[in-house]
Amino acid sequence: MAIIALVIIAPIFSIFYYAILGDTSLWPHLFSTVLPRYLTNTIILMFGVGGLSLVFGLTTAWIVTRYNFFGKKFFEWMLLLPAAVPAYIIAYTYTDFFEYAGPLQSLLRDIFGWTSSKDYWFPNVRSMGGAILVMSSVLYPYVYLMTRASFITTPISFFQTSSIYGRNSFFNVAIPFGRPGIIAGLALVLMETISDFGTVDYFAIETLTLGVFNVWLGMNSLSGASQISSILFMIVIVLLTLEYLGRRSRKFHEKYSGASYTPTQTVSGVKNSLLFLICLIPLSLGFIIPVSILLNFVIKGYSIINFFEIFQITLSSISLALISSSFIMLLSLLMIIVGAYKSNNFQKILIFFASSGYAFPGTILAVGIVVFVGWLNDLIYFRMSYAVGGFIILLFAYSIRFLAVGNGAITSGISRIHPNLLDASRTMGVSFFKSIRKIILPLLYTNLLVGGILVFVDILKELPITLLLRPFNFETLATYVYQYASDEMLEESAFAALIIVIAGLGPVIFLNRTITKSIKN
Amino acid sequence: MKIIFRLLLILIASTISLNLFAKEVNVYSYRQPILIDPFFEEFTKLTGIKVNVLHAKKGLLERVLAEGEDTPADLVLTVDIARLNQFVEKDILQPINSDILNMNIPNHLRDSNNKWFALSKRARIVAISKERVSTDSIKRIEDLSDPKWKGKICTRPGSHDYNRSLLASIIAANGEAIAEEWAAGIVANLARKPEGNDRAQAKAIYEGVCDIAVMNTYYFGKMKFNEKNPEQKEWANSIELVFTNQEDRGNHINVAGGGVIKYSKNKDNAIALLEFLTEPKAQVLYSSINYEYPVNPDMQLTDELKSWGEFKEDKLPVEKLAELAPIAQKIIDRVGW
Repeated sequence: MAIIALVIIAPIFSIFYYAILGDTSLWPHLFSTVLPRYLTNTIILMFGVGGLSLVFGLTTAWIVTRYNFFGKKFFEWMLLLPAAVPAYIIAYTYTDFFEYAGPLQSLLRDIFGWTSSKDYWFPNVRSMGGAILVMSSVLYPYVYLMTRASFITTPISFFQTSSIYGRNSFFNVAIPFGRPGIIAGLALVLMETISDFGTVDYFAIETLTLGVFNVWLGMNSLSGASQISSILFMIVIVLLTLEYLGRRSRKFHEKYSGASYTPTQTVSGVKNSLLFLICLIPLSLGFIIPVSILLNFVIKGYSIINFFEIFQITLSSISLALISSSFIMLLSLLMIIVGAYKSNNFQKILIFFASSGYAFPGTILAVGIVVFVGWLNDLIYFRMSYAVGGFIILLFAYSIRFLAVGNGAITSGISRIHPNLLDASRTMGVSFFKSIRKIILPLLYTNLLVGGILVFVDILKELPITLLLRPFNFETLATYVYQYASDEMLEESAFAALIIVIAGLGPVIFLNRTITKSIKN
Repeated sequence: MKIIFRLLLILIASTISLNLFAKEVNVYSYRQPILIDPFFEEFTKLTGIKVNVLHAKKGLLERVLAEGEDTPADLVLTVDIARLNQFVEKDILQPINSDILNMNIPNHLRDSNNKWFALSKRARIVAISKERVSTDSIKRIEDLSDPKWKGKICTRPGSHDYNRSLLASIIAANGEAIAEEWAAGIVANLARKPEGNDRAQAKAIYEGVCDIAVMNTYYFGKMKFNEKNPEQKEWANSIELVFTNQEDRGNHINVAGGGVIKYSKNKDNAIALLEFLTEPKAQVLYSSINYEYPVNPDMQLTDELKSWGEFKEDKLPVEKLAELAPIAQKIIDRVGW
């Protein structure tokens, strides 16, 4: 296990290697000019996106778990859909919709008789606020999904206790108890935020990630870029460590088995409409509005529709995502179980580091992988150029990037399984592996699915790594969309962009069914 | 498990067809597929050589370096001289002695050691509002830093390749100090924070957000003839193109180009493709598909390009632009463009 973790970490180290070995002569310049701005913007963006994603994710997860209201059945799974929409796509659609020439402002001008942009004020989408809104509305599903899994399994006894003392069941039971899930979701959101390039580039928000590319490509300094990436990495490590320290002294597993879970309340009337509305907001922002805009492009005939080509690309995208996500979840499962039951501290630290690939900008990580594989080439004559080799590299790269998602999902599940369970099974003379298979795995089933689906949609929309590491003549939906979208010709790629979303639908519905079923049992 | 295995087979099959062609050439391309594919189709039709493409926006250099001698890449195509030059700096391109290339490409548009070759030219010009700016009020790119344009100018972010290269040309012409003053002047004159691509700047003029923008000419053609999104025709219609510095060094140009990878296994095919790209048949495609200027001096401009005005270009060897790019980026950081 330590070896697997090391292999996963190796490309990350090759980034550090460049960072440390490289010359540092750029730093005085960076410090005195752009770095403070990059850092401030990055922190504002992280707080903004983290905060708003929590608001969206927590409220909706709580509402659909705790209340029976009109629309609940739909919201349960629909709230996940924004996860399938790539952030850069949503950035394009929103700009298109809200800008001066877009439908909204045109309508306002018609209504109020304004003639030019000087006649009125309208917020610019391409701004920090716009970026926070756009990113939160597609990232909140991480919080929603992970938290909901926790909320559902919160023992009913806790609610009974809290109601005896007249405490608020959301703040005093659900949130504290759901903490592993909430944090796991939030950590993913934050990592995704700081590693994002597409959205910040499009909105021209100068974050550290944008800085990485200016230094790399503008100043021709890969080492400088690696150094800035390493700062990003440090930020994430500090965050994760703080969280770990805060959580260490607490336990989240339940003492009593066989207890039933979070009770539901049926509501109607005003309260029903209110709950409906609260759930509708993030869903509209992250799904309904952008998808309608894309649909509109397709209906108006702006987009290029080549069914045969798209079908082929869809097939290979889905295959790739399915294979990779299965592999990654297996890896995560193995890693976290070993980490939880069979590891010393050193191995635990390795496993911790192995899930940090999510915090690097995709392209930088891809370069780290390329460098590492190049080194492997020299060592064992491993030809990555062949088609099969190309896919192995992609699989490897996805594992490094998305292991954090799988690990997050499994960890939040395992931290809620009482260690006595395994011990009890062992004392009956059952072997470790059999105990895991019989006792632990069934308890982790939901978490495994949650992680798997998230990784699946993540890979479906993954761009920078696929772009750089794929074999010749190979397109995924994301790379296909990108060749138009990168030139701000979103209209042409609207159809393929819709397919990405639709391809994410199936697994999401399946996931929801399974979760619902697992509650009933 | 069975399903997964089948899916894997599908994936592999989807790329394996390329091995059926005996004659092929493998291209790493920073240039977008939609712009370059028609050239390759024409080339394959003509020669029977299959072209395999890998397109990415960043990191292809690092990929080639890591692949080393095993790299499948024969040819690299880029859209900016600085990018091309980075391949030279890492010593990953080989010199090519081809009479056709030497004849078809003028001196200042190819490497002195014949390692890279420009294939098309792109002029970075000033676009002004037809309604709000009088035709002769801007003659030199240097005029843009004049305080009288305060709040009137739109550009994409300074650190984009195209602006960096433009600034490099100003450093080459006037020296670093004056170039920095100029960049600071531009920033002071901006109507809004730099955002979007060149096309978005033309749109901003159309919307009245600003009066003056810096853009590459081909965006004008793409807007003017945009049937997919006819609204863009109006954006094009609202601007006028100004070729700058016509009475001194000429308008700044950048190039798209290519070079043959040192470890190429299909070297002859790679050279054949490069040569093809400089021949009139392909050169005319650069203009008709993407409104770029041909490098081949024998070529007549298409009627459309001619209608934008014939102009004098800055004859600065383009590799100088690559050399000055890091200095330009530092200036951009300092002035916050």
